[in-house]
Amino acid sequence: MPHELRDAIVGLRMDEALALARGMVGDGTDPLAIIAEGSEAMQAIGRRYADGEAFIPELIMGGEIMRSLSAEVLPEGGGPNAGNSKGTVVIGTVQGDIHDIGKDIVALMLGIDGYTVHDLGTDVPVESFVAAVREHDPDIVALSGLLTLAFGAMQSTVEGIAAAGLRDQVRIMIGGAAVDENVRAYTGADGWGDDVSHAVKLAEEWTGGGA
Amino acid sequence: MMKPAAEEKLGDRLISDWVSGAHLRFASDEARERYQARARLIVDTIRLQDTGKIPVIPAATQKFALDYEGVTFREAMTEFDKAFAAYVRQYEDTDFDAWVGPEFIFPAGMFEALAWKRVRLPGVDLPGDKSFQFVEAEYMKADEYDEYLDDPSDWVLRKYLPRLSPKLEPLAQLPPLRNMLVFHQGLPDLVLAAAENPGVVEAMAALKASGEAVQEWYEYLGRLDQDLGGRLGIPHLLGAIAAAPFDIISTYYRGWRGAIVDMYTRPEKMKALMERLLPWQLQYGIDGAKALGHPIVAVYLYKGADGLMSDEQYEEFYWPTLKRLLLGLVEEGLLVWVFTQGKYDSRLHHFKEIPAGTCLIHLESGTDALHAKEVLAGSQCIEGNVSSALLATASVDEVEAYCLRLAEVCGEGGGFMMDFSAFLDEARRENVKKMIEVAKRYGRQETAPPPLP
Repeated sequence: MPHELRDAIVGLRMDEALALARGMVGDGTDPLAIIAEGSEAMQAIGRRYADGEAFIPELIMGGEIMRSLSAEVLPEGGGPNAGNSKGTVVIGTVQGDIHDIGKDIVALMLGIDGYTVHDLGTDVPVESFVAAVREHDPDIVALSGLLTLAFGAMQSTVEGIAAAGLRDQVRIMIGGAAVDENVRAYTGADGWGDDVSHAVKLAEEWTGGGA
Repeated sequence: MMKPAAEEKLGDRLISDWVSGAHLRFASDEARERYQARARLIVDTIRLQDTGKIPVIPAATQKFALDYEGVTFREAMTEFDKAFAAYVRQYEDTDFDAWVGPEFIFPAGMFEALAWKRVRLPGVDLPGDKSFQFVEAEYMKADEYDEYLDDPSDWVLRKYLPRLSPKLEPLAQLPPLRNMLVFHQGLPDLVLAAAENPGVVEAMAALKASGEAVQEWYEYLGRLDQDLGGRLGIPHLLGAIAAAPFDIISTYYRGWRGAIVDMYTRPEKMKALMERLLPWQLQYGIDGAKALGHPIVAVYLYKGADGLMSDEQYEEFYWPTLKRLLLGLVEEGLLVWVFTQGKYDSRLHHFKEIPAGTCLIHLESGTDALHAKEVLAGSQCIEGNVSSALLATASVDEVEAYCLRLAEVCGEGGGFMMDFSAFLDEARRENVKKMIEVAKRYGRQETAPPPLP
């Protein structure tokens, strides 16, 4: 059954994908091989998204299928990206902003793309970003914010990381519907993006993982 | 014999009342003239008349206004006099042709009395200087479509409200109200549930406390309308509100993730629910317009933006009920302020399916306004697009250049209003004033702000 699972996920057929995965587990297929096929499917969806052929619902539905799939086939604690990592990313929505969807999709796609992602959640204080940079030694810090009110918090976060003496160790990207080059300059970040494919492209440029 | 005036639509009467300022006590003839000229200009511009002028409206001013008096969001939600003073000062200082803003700040007491879970409040969950934010979550479960469709009010009373507020959880203990229709035992069943469950009485008390905060707040909004309208001659742009059925499901009930999963796994149920919601939203908009005496119904759009779904999904799930909502409001002679949020380039052509000169289409900065003008010229009025980031971070010259370009291209032949992209929080005052000045200069309007008291 070559690629049946991948095709079912790309086609966003949740029930079929889960039934196939269960069958594969029953046949003794290595769970990591099942997850790898799922990740391949998500990368295909991600490419279609970058090409403007797929949209957020495909990414979210694909993510939902992958979540159910992982719960189905992986032992507790196993991540979909246990193998080689392209780099480490600390991501969160900045303090005062609780919007999560954009941040979640970027975290999902960076994970699928091969990054180790530490998601700090929403409304994340500056100190938590600083602590996470110390703890995880990431290549990239990704600051998300939907509100224009987030610009100030993005700036404080960049400053906080600098004040802790960690600025030279990381590249910082900001993302959200309202950010642009002006906001990047204002916040002192290294790059910006207003959709998920920008975030992945930027990460690949920065870590040399890009095609 | 006189012919009955049956042909006059609701909207025609409301437009005439609103433009005359029938609901206001004007402090001076000058204020009346200024108010009426502005309101007339707004209606004429939506009607696509080439007035030679570009009205300047605010999508809504929030922190931008509060900063005039150093008022935090927390204070604005609890001490309405402070917010009142800030808004008055902002509108005295900036020559807008309409006002909008505090309606979306809401009284903290309304939420707090119910421990409302759908919001994170400044001063409680968030820093005091941040706006409250909605928490989008799954308040309706995937398998509850049938239950909702079968008896919506029961679902709202005994499932939705208890999930949104711990104070209203006891309502889940009530028997279904529909039992009252069954036989004589319905009444004792209902009242017994209230008597045996003290929580039901406490829930009613929490509703009352929440309502008292709203009463006080409405009183303040009324005073603000009187002061800004009656004294400064600035019309209130925001009237009743209605919502696109897809947005209700995806934003208020199922959450976006849930709604997306439903689009793939139970599309027919979702469509059935949207059909159910449509006539209620239409009636809500019409009733609200009547109650407020305001001809403009605002429809804020959330989940239909470019990229949030494919064109096919938009045409299958989003647009059909939104279109019928807009047509229904327009049929009543009402004007619709369609507030698109997010990038909307690929959807704009749909608004040509609504009778020309009935909608005011708000554009965020992600949408290409010049393209929008090309698509909608002669069909609908457009407004907005001046980026919040530009107003917050750019120089006055950059703002001027951007706004001039907008005025030149979008203002051509009428059907355009100058406005920023989103609710205004962080922005440099000189940039906002420049945006206003460009519109007035381009439209050859007098720029004198109202005299200070």
